[in-house]
Amino acid sequence: MNARALTESSNVVSEVTKGPAPQGQAVVTVQQLTKMYDTFTAVDSLSLEVGQGELLCLLGPSGCGKTTTLSMIAGFVQPTRGAIHIAGADVTRLPPYKRDTGMVFQSYALFPHMTVAANVAFGLENVGVAKVQRKRRVGEMLDLVELGHLANRFPRELSGGQQQRVALARALALRPAVLLLDEPFSNLDAQLRVRLREEMRRLIDAVDITTLFVTHDQDEALVLSDRIVVMNKGRIEQIGTPQEIYEEPASRFVAEFIGSCSLLEGTVRDGEFRTQRGISVPVAAAANIERALLVLRPEQVRLSGPTGARAFDARVENSSYYGGMTRVRLNAGGESLLMEAHFAGADVPKPGDDIRVQISPVGVRLIPAP
Amino acid sequence: MRPIVYVGLCIPAVIIVAASFTAGEALRFPPEGFSLRWYRAALSSAPFMGSLWTSVRLACLATIGALSLGLCAAMALDRYRFRGREVIRNLTLSPLVVPMVVLGIALLQFLASMKLNQTFVGLLAGHVLITVPYVVRTLTASLVLFDRSIEQAAANLRAPPWRVLRLVTLPILFPAIISATVFAFVTSFGNVTLSIFLGTSQATTLPVQIFTYVEQNYDPVLAAVSAVVIMVTLAMILVIEKVVGVEKVA
Repeated sequence: MNARALTESSNVVSEVTKGPAPQGQAVVTVQQLTKMYDTFTAVDSLSLEVGQGELLCLLGPSGCGKTTTLSMIAGFVQPTRGAIHIAGADVTRLPPYKRDTGMVFQSYALFPHMTVAANVAFGLENVGVAKVQRKRRVGEMLDLVELGHLANRFPRELSGGQQQRVALARALALRPAVLLLDEPFSNLDAQLRVRLREEMRRLIDAVDITTLFVTHDQDEALVLSDRIVVMNKGRIEQIGTPQEIYEEPASRFVAEFIGSCSLLEGTVRDGEFRTQRGISVPVAAAANIERALLVLRPEQVRLSGPTGARAFDARVENSSYYGGMTRVRLNAGGESLLMEAHFAGADVPKPGDDIRVQISPVGVRLIPAP
Repeated sequence: MRPIVYVGLCIPAVIIVAASFTAGEALRFPPEGFSLRWYRAALSSAPFMGSLWTSVRLACLATIGALSLGLCAAMALDRYRFRGREVIRNLTLSPLVVPMVVLGIALLQFLASMKLNQTFVGLLAGHVLITVPYVVRTLTASLVLFDRSIEQAAANLRAPPWRVLRLVTLPILFPAIISATVFAFVTSFGNVTLSIFLGTSQATTLPVQIFTYVEQNYDPVLAAVSAVVIMVTLAMILVIEKVVGVEKVA
């Protein structure tokens, strides 16, 4: 890699990693947060800000440190180094009950020996809200989550989705500065999950609360978040809006973790990316690079007519029919490519077929080869 | 198979209760006739009633002591990782392993050196020692299943630690605490060996009283006393059934 290309490409990366500034004033500020267990570093010098009214998501595989980060913000885990500010106050050394956060736990953690109404009232009692106001607030919260008719039930008598809404009402009853959600949908079946995350977004927008959300599910993160923090091995890989994360991944990890993609290794010379096996894609703005990775989303690989520009032949290795589209794994002279497209009935490719494809150059992204 | 086991377990109790209603002079089964004379004899016997009261008092105090110590020990063993944790865990369970006679002799020596032999306090200390293991075991088992995030949720809702303990942790542990109470009470109430070594002439427990009585006499008053003990135990289980439900405790 020549010197100019190196500085240019690393500039691009650092700019994207920083991401856009949070909207409005920061409600949660985390600086250089580090958690070490003996020699294992769970969270490594993590810094981020959550803006007023923003929904920020910590996304990453299990063990990436996202839940540890959330636990440190809530106060359940003491950081080894670093500082946490909530609503302007330094809470780094404060116990959980002195922090202005409301948390929804992965298991919901409802109090099994209390009714739904008593669960929601618990926080209000702790801060000494008088009985009349307490009752009114509990009523408001249960109306908000549409569970008023179940106020006298016990948690074990509710469905998973209802329990989640009680947990949310309980967390919001105290009007915390920030709502913390720890994998709130992981205990629900797939269909319910999709419905409830729309519901959750609607509720969060309705009360207009700053939210920090932890998940390993990229779909959840893309659909729900204003901004996403992609984490890996205790570090931030990239911060950005869902569009930026998907369309302009800063690293190979982000590209592979968010959505599906094919990675092609090759060289960039005179505005042309070229693999060893001869697949070429125009990348007009890019500088010359000796080794680069081209991130190809499945929808960027398209069927081509026999005379399409830069078209090439590929053999179908396998195909999965999803109704609206078909996902096809292709082998183009040794390069593995993933393609998603709609094929009309009889045209669905079968393993062993040879098809002619081309790469749509719009939106392809280059990242530095490791 | 199960009915046979249940019948096998019940037969001795049934025989003793049936024999207690005999009108005859001898303790035998089947009983001769029917009368309550041996119950009158038992209830008017100062040694038996005095020792029954001693036993109840001792079992109540020992249970309270064992619960306080055992709850703290079980919590500490479950929640903290400290040096010597396994040693302490095994120590709390060791009174179950050491033969009761050995424990009795050792405690007698030890209490004598502290001038506490032949006192109610010494007897109580011994009973706390043998009931603590049941409390620690029962509570440890339910603490292992305890979802810690429930306590975190309480803290997140602005509850200081003591409020979390009082309003969340202890209420959720309530069935296990009741279960531990029953084990501790029954263990103390039925103990003979330790009470023989540590008992005093003023404070004889009911099992020891029965034991010494049987060396001299063998009349149906024993059956009547035993029947009373069985009824007290049954009454206790019925009360628990009413309060929490036995299936939650077991």
